Parts: sequence; C-alpha cells; structure tokens
Amino acid sequence: MSGNGQKWVGKAVPRKEEERLLRGLGKFADDIKLHETLYLRFVRSPYAHAKIANISTAEAEKIPGVVCTLTGAEIASQTQPFIEIAPDAGGKIRDYPLAVSKVRYQGEPVAAVVAMSAAIADDGAEAVQVDYEALDPVVDAEQALTDASILHEDAGTNKVWNGVFEYGDVEKAFREAASVVEIDRMHFHRFSSTPLENNVVIGQWDPKDERIYYWCNNSFPSFAIQFLAAHLNVHIDRIRVQTFDIGGSFGIKITSYPQMAVCALASKKAGGRPIKWVETRSEHMTSSAHGNERTFRDTRVALDENGVITALTSRHIDDCGAYPRYEPLGCVIWSQVFPGVYRFKNARIDFSQAVTNKCPVGPNRGYSRMQHLWFLERVVDICAHELGIPADEMRLRNYIRPQEFPYTTPNGCVYDSGNYPKMLDLAKGLIGWDAWKKKQAEARKQGRMVGIGIGTTLDSGTNNFGQSQIVNPGAPFSGNSQGANCKLDIYGEVVVAVGSCPQGQGHETTAAQVVADVLNITPDLVTVRTGFDTERNVHTGFSGTYASQFAVSGLSAVHGAAQKLKAEMIRLGAHVLESKPEDLDFGIGGQGPEIRSKSNGKSINYWGLANIVNVNSAVLPPELYEVTLNCRYIWRAPFKVPDIKKKYGNLTMTYASQLHIAVVEVDRDTLIPKILDYVAIDDCGTVINPPIVEGQVYGATAHGIGAALLENCVYDEVGNMLTSTFSDYIPITAMNMPNVKYGHIETPSPHSYSGAKGMGEGGAAPIHTISAALQDALFDKGVFIQDSFNNADSLFRALHGEIGQTAKLVKVERRVGSKA
Amino acid sequence: MAIKFAGAFEVRRTPEDVYDFLTDPNKFAPLLPEFRGVSVEDAQNFTVKVNVGISYIKGVADVKLHLAESDRPKRAQYKGQGSVAGGNVSMVAAFDLALAGEVTRVAWQGEAQVFGRLTSVAGGLLEPLGKKQVQKLIDGLQAALHGETGSTL
Repeated sequence: MSGNGQKWVGKAVPRKEEERLLRGLGKFADDIKLHETLYLRFVRSPYAHAKIANISTAEAEKIPGVVCTLTGAEIASQTQPFIEIAPDAGGKIRDYPLAVSKVRYQGEPVAAVVAMSAAIADDGAEAVQVDYEALDPVVDAEQALTDASILHEDAGTNKVWNGVFEYGDVEKAFREAASVVEIDRMHFHRFSSTPLENNVVIGQWDPKDERIYYWCNNSFPSFAIQFLAAHLNVHIDRIRVQTFDIGGSFGIKITSYPQMAVCALASKKAGGRPIKWVETRSEHMTSSAHGNERTFRDTRVALDENGVITALTSRHIDDCGAYPRYEPLGCVIWSQVFPGVYRFKNARIDFSQAVTNKCPVGPNRGYSRMQHLWFLERVVDICAHELGIPADEMRLRNYIRPQEFPYTTPNGCVYDSGNYPKMLDLAKGLIGWDAWKKKQAEARKQGRMVGIGIGTTLDSGTNNFGQSQIVNPGAPFSGNSQGANCKLDIYGEVVVAVGSCPQGQGHETTAAQVVADVLNITPDLVTVRTGFDTERNVHTGFSGTYASQFAVSGLSAVHGAAQKLKAEMIRLGAHVLESKPEDLDFGIGGQGPEIRSKSNGKSINYWGLANIVNVNSAVLPPELYEVTLNCRYIWRAPFKVPDIKKKYGNLTMTYASQLHIAVVEVDRDTLIPKILDYVAIDDCGTVINPPIVEGQVYGATAHGIGAALLENCVYDEVGNMLTSTFSDYIPITAMNMPNVKYGHIETPSPHSYSGAKGMGEGGAAPIHTISAALQDALFDKGVFIQDSFNNADSLFRALHGEIGQTAKLVKVERRVGSKA
Repeated sequence: MAIKFAGAFEVRRTPEDVYDFLTDPNKFAPLLPEFRGVSVEDAQNFTVKVNVGISYIKGVADVKLHLAESDRPKRAQYKGQGSVAGGNVSMVAAFDLALAGEVTRVAWQGEAQVFGRLTSVAGGLLEPLGKKQVQKLIDGLQAALHGETGSTL
C-alpha cells in the first residue's frame, strides 16, 4: 500500500499547471469564443480634466457593422453610481463606468462602440465626436488638497480621507531624545504592474433568464459582484463570474468592474449578445489602475543615545488618482505594518488622501504597505547616515527582537513570528558583506560611486476587513473568510474547488498537496478546479486572489474541506467495512486510493465509497443519509473588529518578511545605476512548495527592481501620461535582471494551521534596498535619496543640486548625551 | 504638453494690409502647413482641414479657429482647437502689428497645448515638429505678403 504517510506539504512537487501553461495550452479569457459575440471599444478622453460639451455618436452608428453605442448619460439613467467606500465627503463622489458630464483623467472612457468585429469597433470609436471644454488639471496631491480646482463637485473637495494615527507618548519621546532628525519631503512614485495578459471581459446580459454572465480575468470577483449588483440594480445571485487561467494580475485586475459593467449594459442594448472587450496595452497603461503615489512631509524622528528610534511623526499624502474605487482602504492598510520591522512605540502619522487628474489607483503588489515600508527604511538609513551608524548596525539596534514574537505593534497588530537578525546574517553571508565593504572602499578611492543597501520589509497577509471601519465606521465589512469544496465525484475522483482565482501562484498544486496529506494519497490523484466560478458556491464576500493570503485563507479552507470529507469517508467506511472508525487507514491500494480496516483487512476504494453515496444509495442506512462526500467548508479568520476610535486592533493574520541586500554602482559618466550583486532572503513561515515560493520571490524581486530603476508613470503638467507605451514605461525583463542569490529561513506562524504565512507580494523590498544602496553611494556627495524612483536623469538632477540635497532637506539636532 | 513659439518679421506692407490678410480665412488658412481645405462659418470662425503626420501617426485633423481678438490694424488673435488620432490640440496665436518706418513689423507669439496619447507616443517629436510647422506658416505668410498686391509702403 503506497501513500504510506508521506507528507507532501513542504515538498518540491512540480506544478500541476506547468504542463499546460508552458505548452501554450492555458485557457485565458480571450480564448473563450461564444456564438454571436460582439466587440467593444472605448472612446477615451485625451484631456485630464474637461467638461463634456457634447457627444455625437451619429457618425459611428452609420458605419456598417456597428451595432450600437453607449454613453455615460445613458448609463447614468439606468444605473446607480458605484459604491464608495469612503465616508463623506469622499463618499459623495459619483463614479460611473463612462464619464457623464466631465472627464477626470486622460484615458477615461466617455463612450463605447459595439460592433461585429474589433476592427469595426475601432473605426466606430474614432468616428465618435466629443467636444470638450478643458478645465485646470491637478496632477499633484498636495496641490489637490488646496481645492483650487475641484475634481468632483458633488464631494466639494479633493480630499477623500484624513485621519491621525497616534500611539504612545510622542511628545515625551521627543523631549527625552538624544538626537532629532528632520526630513522635509520624500516621495514614493507611481508605477504599476504590467501583466502579460491585459484585462479581458466578456459580458452577457441574457434576456432569456435575465442573468448576467461574465467570462473574464478579474482577480477579486466576489468584490466585483458586490459593486456590480448595486450598480446594475440586480440581485447578486443573477451575476455569474467565471475566470480561467489568468496571465498575472498583481492586484491591478481587481478594479476592472467598471469595464465589466459596460460590457453587461452594452449586451443588454445589443439584445443579449455576448460583448467582448480586450484591453490594449496602452489602454492598460493609461486607464486600468496604477499603484498609489505617496508624499511624506515634515518627518521628525527622535532617537536615543544609541541611535534607537524612540518616536516618529510625519504627514503623509496619498494620491489615489481620479476616482477612489478600492480606496480609501489604502489609507488604513499601510498601518498593518505601522512600525515596519522596528521597535519604536511612539508615533503620530497624519494621513490624507486626495484625488488628482490621473489614472485611478488600484491595489498593486505590496499595496499601501510598500509605500510606508519604503518610508520607514528611508528614515532608518537617513538617520543612520546622519548619525554615522553603519546600516546593518542601525537595523540590529532597532529591529524587533526574535524573542519578542508574537509582537504587538503600537496599533495593536500582532506580528506572528520572525527573526530579522538571522535574515540579516544570512544575507550578509550570501552576498559577501565584508568583501564588498573592502571593494567599496577601494572603488571610492578611485572616485567610483558604489553603494551597499539593506532593505527589510514585511508582506502582511490575510487582512482583517474590519480595518475598513477605521476609514468608514459605516463600512459593512470585518474579518476574512474563504471557501472551498472537497468531494469524491461519482466515480470517486477527488475534486477540489476553492474561491481563489490564481494568476500563476500554483494554487492547483499547493491545494492538491494539502488534500493529499489529509487523505494520505498523492497530489496527482487530486483534481483542483482551475479558476473561479460563482456557481461552484465556494466563494464568500472576500474570495479572490489578492493580499498574500492563499497560503493561509485558501489552504485553510481547502484543509477544512478535506478534513470534513475525510470525516464523512470514515463514517461511511466504518459502516461498509464493519469496522471501528479508529481502525481505518487511508492510503493507496491495488485499486487506487482506498480506506482499509486494520482490524479485519477489508478495504474499499474511493469509487466504491462514491458509488454508494451517489448512484447506489439504497444500500445506505438512514443514519448515513447526511453523508454526501461533497463537503463545503468556510474558513474564517479569528479577527475582532478593531477599536475604530483608537485605530487599534489586529489587522492581519501573518507577516512574512524579506531582507534584501544590493550592491549598486552609479556610472560616473552616464549616471546609470547598475546592480553589481543582489541577495534576497525570504521568511514565509512553513514553506508549502519551495520552488513556488522561490519563483514568487524572484518575481517580486524583478517587479521591485523594475519599479526602483525603470518603471515610472510620468504625467506632464496638464495630465498627459507620457509613459503609456513600453517604449517609455520600461517594464523589467530578463535582460535587466541581475543574478539574484536566494536564501530563506522559516519561522512558522502560530496563526495558521500549517505554520505558513501568506507571501508573493514581497513587500517591494528591492525599492527600499536600491534606494538605500544609492544613498550609500551618493551620501558623501551631499545627496539623500528622497524618491523611490531613481534613474540616470533623477540622479543627474540630484548630483547637480536640483533635488535630494541633504543640507537643504535634512536637519539633525544632537543633544547632550548622544553617543551616535 | 505645451509648445511655445514667438518671433517677428517685417514686411513692406501697411499694417492694414497685413491685418486684412491675416483675418481673411481664405487667404490665411491655405498658408497652414499641409492645408487641405477651409470651411468658413462667419467672419470670426472657420474650420481648416490639414494633414497631420507625426512619425507613424497619420491622419486628417479638423482645426476649428476663432478670431478671438480683432483690433484693426494692430492685433489679431486666433484661438483654435483640433483633434487627430491619439490627441487633441488647443492653440492660441496672436499677431501684433506695428508700423516701423517703411515696414510693418509683425510680432507673433503663441502656445499650443497638446493633449492625449499622442504626447506619449510622439512626445519627443512634438516640440521640434510643432516649431518647424510654425516656421513654415510664418515663411508662407511672409512670402504671401510679399507677393500680395496692396498698399506698398
């Protein structure tokens, strides 16, 4: 009998998805071909801010093959504005999927054209005449907060949200500080994700059953249907969403619900025919979603005589683009990692969010936390440089210590486990820290600009949605949950469905590993359904794939469903095999997976068990009628609603950590920064599948390096996006990637059944790390790195006194007693 | 993206002649580079059709021009708006005329604001191309005024 207790969790099980994806056999949304499909193209605004004086679709409608057009005014007359998560005034914003009376960002859709082919739809879109009256654009969040030019008249202000997060005794800490460092301004730039597959929606409003069907690649469908049902005035059960293989999302595909709404409404107008919209790359760049941009002002840091940070105050301004959509959740999500990996207890952060005439933001890998973690790492490095403390030593003095876990942060989050000093040791060993320090000293003698930087970061996973009540006490969300179903199909096949929609994270494989361990079989005997489907009835209001949570929420749900199935199989098996439940063993026999009685040697395979329940049920005694071998399980995270007034409570289940070290040289002639060496250390607790984890670490590292050096959403002063193609927005490729030395440690989480922590976002560690390395390279030239994006141009400006001047922007007050 | 332009030239015509030329759509419009046709609505408003080609982006633009300021024979200012694949253009162009001895000095200045994806896909080309087209317009204007029959100073 095989399946003899071998455990699959933790093993390098080859990905079940690999075969079809590598051979081009994946099934993506655009692969779906439906009878009588029509094609949709958006007419998009060239202006960032303008009134719509007139829209004429007449010429478009004359084109043979154009079926219909749709405008914002038509949509507004038959729908509700999308739900706003913000309280007033942000809550008064009226957001429709097509602009109604004015446009608020370049690329905003103002009309849609539906045609027999995509090419005809293109021609039709060009024939739509829109007259605009340009308005003053606002492209800077600080400027937006002055309300000199208002984006949303209904709100009456550009400020979406403001709140002060204050903990400890800040004033006392500053009074007692040995040193105080002040930093005028820092800025985290706007970048995005560039998934291989853009957004795709096929929507059908079927008049035969008055249901709305979606075949798409949205990555948080249970969130999308909540928004869509309210917007379209339909019962949520009338919306069916299916996803398939998804070619990357990184969070960006969460906010495709406006386009989903347009496809459904266009289908309704077109008599119920399916409507397909396939986003172009430049549409994706200008108008899908970008990551949040954030400005940090008036930062003050109190330190004791050893360079240990004791308090911090700062004012943060987040730019959410033209419409909040998933926001203002980002105004609280950063506080999941309030102190980062550091021990300070006293802090006050005044956080505001503003709308600007730029593409709306959406959750982008490392969403909201990476901006804050970058800020903290900048603070640590600037203080270290100013006080003359080596970067590694500064961190060791300030890190949360291994023995302090589980560690409660000043705002009540509970960091489950970690060992940052150990990660630092491992990283230094892998990169050859001491050798690089010598090489750096020699290089500097030659006038070369070589820097070594450390970035320590967190990947908080499995949110407590109760944090939404911190931004809006009326928000009807708290906790977190995920569903899964595990069954023996009619012929005894083990089939798993889960409410996630993976985009390359290997959910089919890891779910199979978990179930295989529960049933003592092999993962190849477990079929895990691909993609998401509301009709599988395994989703909750939180289902989807986002926020580094599958290893905890998804696999806990799968584990729970498998346990339920196992319990039913034991109950049925005990009856059939005339054995005590405790005498039953699970494993694989001559006729496949089976249950065997240790007491009498009888066995029954899964086909036999499934047969009895599904097609031979007359042999079942009534007391076993409730056995279905089709077990749905909803896993719920054990969260409480946070204290809204104090902004206090546990906001996340697990905290994976990453520590990166980079050696970077700035070329003396071109000022192009080049990575000479790179190490990435990851700790995501118990590893479910090592190659999958390693792959996601490489992916997150590539994404972060791209963001640090190449990828920047640039807008000019009137709101033109200047980087809407890959010629200008340069996504990282294998050509730009350095060799990454990978290492990991495991500090199992006490908060998950398996010890695993959610991972995959990576905390944007490379952005922190490269900023640190560049500062190390340039600090003695009077430059501090005040922006998260650094290329030859920005470094030129820094070295020529235009930006990042330490003398102008950083002040240090050393008081008596300071050893640093 | 803003493209600013300014300059001056002198022509041996009276300011009245120059003004009348500049404010006559049927005379002024054909001088626009890549001119294809003009449709005059009234004395202050006309629409010019011009070919536009920026790198691989080619098309025909309808530019609506409005004579916003008309102070014969001192000043004429046009405001315009046009659209082409991938972008819109708003522009202001003013001509200030002054008698300078035996010639009329024509000081011209303006600004074109470009909106839309065009700024991304052709951003780097727009400013030099815009300035080149403006220079063509001015050259054409000078040539036309030199050849125009009228009151020579």
